[in-house]
Amino acid sequence: MIAGQVISGSFDSVVVRQKSDAKLEIGQLLTANTAEGKILMQVFNLVYGSQLSQQNLEMISGMKLESDNDLELMDAELRNYTLAFLKPLLIVRENSVSPCKTLPEFFSNVNELAMEDVKFLEKPDNPLLIGNLRSGSRIVDAEVYLNGADVFSHHVLIAAQTGRGKSNLMSCLIWNALQNDYAGFLILDPHDEYYGRNHNGLKKSEKVAYYSTNPPAGARTLTINLSKIRPSHFSGVTFWSEPQREALYAYYRKYRARWIEAVLAEEDESLKSLFHEATISVIRRRLQQLLNLEIANNEIYAKGIFDAAAGISTVADIADDVEKAMAVIVDTSSLSSQTEILVGSIIASELFSRYQNYKSAGQLRDKPVASIVLEEAPRVLGKDALEQGANVFSRIAREGRKFKTGLIAITQLPSVIPRQILANMGTKIILGIEMAPERKAIIESAAQDLSQDDKAIASLDIGEAIVTSTFSKFAVPVKTPLFDEIAANTKTDYRTEFVGLHS
Amino acid sequence: MKFAHFADVHLGSWRDPKLSNASTEAFMKAVGICYQQNVDFIIISGDFFNTALPSIDCLKEVAKKLKEIKDKSIPVYAIAGSHDFSPTGKTMLDVLENAGLLVNVMRGSVVDNKLQLNFTVDEKTGAKITGVIGKKGMLERKYFESLDREKLEAESGFKIFMFHTAVSEFKPKGLEKMDSTPLSEFPKGFDYYAGGHVHEPYKREYGRGLIANAGPLFPNNFRELEKLGCGGFYIVEKKNILNADFQQIMVHGVFSISVDCSHKSAREVEAEIIEGISDKSFDNAIVTIRLEGALESGKPSEINFKSIYDMLYAKSAHFVMKNTAALTSSEFEEIKTVAQSVEETEEAVIKEHLGQFKAALPDDELLLTKSLMNALNTEKAEGETTAIFEGRVKEDASRILRVRM
Repeated sequence: MIAGQVISGSFDSVVVRQKSDAKLEIGQLLTANTAEGKILMQVFNLVYGSQLSQQNLEMISGMKLESDNDLELMDAELRNYTLAFLKPLLIVRENSVSPCKTLPEFFSNVNELAMEDVKFLEKPDNPLLIGNLRSGSRIVDAEVYLNGADVFSHHVLIAAQTGRGKSNLMSCLIWNALQNDYAGFLILDPHDEYYGRNHNGLKKSEKVAYYSTNPPAGARTLTINLSKIRPSHFSGVTFWSEPQREALYAYYRKYRARWIEAVLAEEDESLKSLFHEATISVIRRRLQQLLNLEIANNEIYAKGIFDAAAGISTVADIADDVEKAMAVIVDTSSLSSQTEILVGSIIASELFSRYQNYKSAGQLRDKPVASIVLEEAPRVLGKDALEQGANVFSRIAREGRKFKTGLIAITQLPSVIPRQILANMGTKIILGIEMAPERKAIIESAAQDLSQDDKAIASLDIGEAIVTSTFSKFAVPVKTPLFDEIAANTKTDYRTEFVGLHS
Repeated sequence: MKFAHFADVHLGSWRDPKLSNASTEAFMKAVGICYQQNVDFIIISGDFFNTALPSIDCLKEVAKKLKEIKDKSIPVYAIAGSHDFSPTGKTMLDVLENAGLLVNVMRGSVVDNKLQLNFTVDEKTGAKITGVIGKKGMLERKYFESLDREKLEAESGFKIFMFHTAVSEFKPKGLEKMDSTPLSEFPKGFDYYAGGHVHEPYKREYGRGLIANAGPLFPNNFRELEKLGCGGFYIVEKKNILNADFQQIMVHGVFSISVDCSHKSAREVEAEIIEGISDKSFDNAIVTIRLEGALESGKPSEINFKSIYDMLYAKSAHFVMKNTAALTSSEFEEIKTVAQSVEETEEAVIKEHLGQFKAALPDDELLLTKSLMNALNTEKAEGETTAIFEGRVKEDASRILRVRM
């Protein structure tokens, strides 16, 4: 169906006069036929056009307002119209698509998107469903897939303000990925929203493990043994002065797995002679407070999730499950921000170190991508956090893709994440962002040119997204699925044969 | 109220004649301590026997002891463990229960696919006991998932929950890879959670009571002999507070020798072992020799174990055993082995070959293979005819494969 006609413009801004019965929208996809193929274009701005002068328009408006509301213009649709500004996205040929490098001809018709125009949207290997293609606010009956293994290993940024459907999108992506075995997930969940304790959630998948300080039936208690903590895990969690850091490492070198117990409970004369007494006292007090431990009669009593006796296998079990292409949700909602980052740091370090070893042993190819979901990502990837020194998450952001380890960073403040890290995020899924500086940060670091899309991003409704990725041909507008609908169609039913039960 | 908590007795576990009686002897000693301590009852948290079909000799001795316990009016409450069951779900515990020698406390019914357990009440103390059996391949996990916990939690009185599974949160160091059940699957509000399956004892406070794993009464393999030295059980007493005291059972002492053979010749290793034992006497102890690393020169076979064994036996060792699984020689092609126990080695080998069987399988291939190996790893029982034996093996295999033979 004809939507308009090309009348002027430039390569980055093709001006189209809208046909009077067409109703173009920001973000709408249109096509124009050329000898080479169809040019796929997208509306990025709409303005009024008129054959009448501004003075006459104001006069007519005055007459309609002040005297005769029924006043009709002759040939109104010819005299007043809408001008749409389009950016060319792709040229679609019979068997291929490529970036567009030409302009459609003068007065060539611009058509609304038809199904045959998007046949090039194929299902890749390791298909990850992002959503349905969207043209403006209209949902097109064509699903958008990316190669999930590529996407997750090259990091994902999900940028959106609160209430724009981040958790829904994240749940949908993970649910979809769990249908295959190409990726496992570690989800650090500060809002306890992914498992779905009291609502639909990922718990409906058999490939989900859940750790919480208050676990429902079937879940694991979040307990981590003190022997699993290394001094490096505190990077990004808290600031240590140089002498304090040296003291931590000195204890670790001497006592290895027992180093925290040694700091807290033991008197070590040889180390005491190397460090100022006050330094040892400070690290003892801060470790006790950070790890929520109590010392009485030279015994360590756990008041939080870190325990001297229990939780020996927790970190290894989580890493094992991620390696089995499962999603492990760690409910950190009851933890302080510092403890939450420490827990994430311990588990992420274990995962990353395993994957580094797999690479050197030539086993990496057989492993699924390990993807770490970070809510409120600037807490560990933000400029302020990184000023305190690198942490395991920033290392993964820089080097992870070589080791099939990726981050899914979720934030409403992408501008506080350094450009270098943003540039490393191969896929960015943009939901509604109202704040201009945040849109600017995303636009400047996108895989495709989004310089014209400021209005499109600002006008995204709930569930509408723009996906820019090094693995897609263009910045794809999508409508994300509704997780509640997916979960409602899933039934878990099994019957158990009870051998050995006496009546 | 005072009771004994045994687990993992594994009667008949050792095949070597010198150790075959050790687990039975440990059981006899433990019962002796129960008499001395005047316990009101004994609970056995699974794996009473090492196989579903123990030998007649083993059974005879155990039945006699159980009868003696019964005559002293000490009830025995048990659940079956993963070793107690044949693949078809048969267990010798049923025979002992029918003879009135013990009570299997996993009783109840299944309503709407929910497992509703009933309590067995100890007449003398009023203790209410129930539990969930252990099954090979962690099939008990499904039992836990189906458990009607609310009904159990609503019951008042002193309650004991028996289980035969590793608790995820309390897996000990070295056994991190063990399949397990999370604490959240357990019913809450019990006074004592009596565990088995993990061959390492522990106890922890849990809820208003204690959760404890008794470990084996006698170590069951080389590594356990090295790590534990001896087995034991808990004597649990309820006065003002609940207290569980671990009782060690010493059948034989254990003397462990471990040599890192890296950068040493076979002769040097032999000399080092001999030097380490020359001034010692072993007083009926079990001696374990673990050799690890890559010999710089010479082959493992050049270590004269016979002379070492002779020397140890001359010094009153009860039994000598060696483990050279992680010993390699630079004169040989390196053999990489990480696994330590027979089970771990088996599992590693199965995992290496997974995915080669193309037909549709009713279960996870690893689990199915292990179950099948377990089913086929059986011997003709005493008095069993060949035809009955064949029939039993076929029945077990067909049940696992879910095919008709």
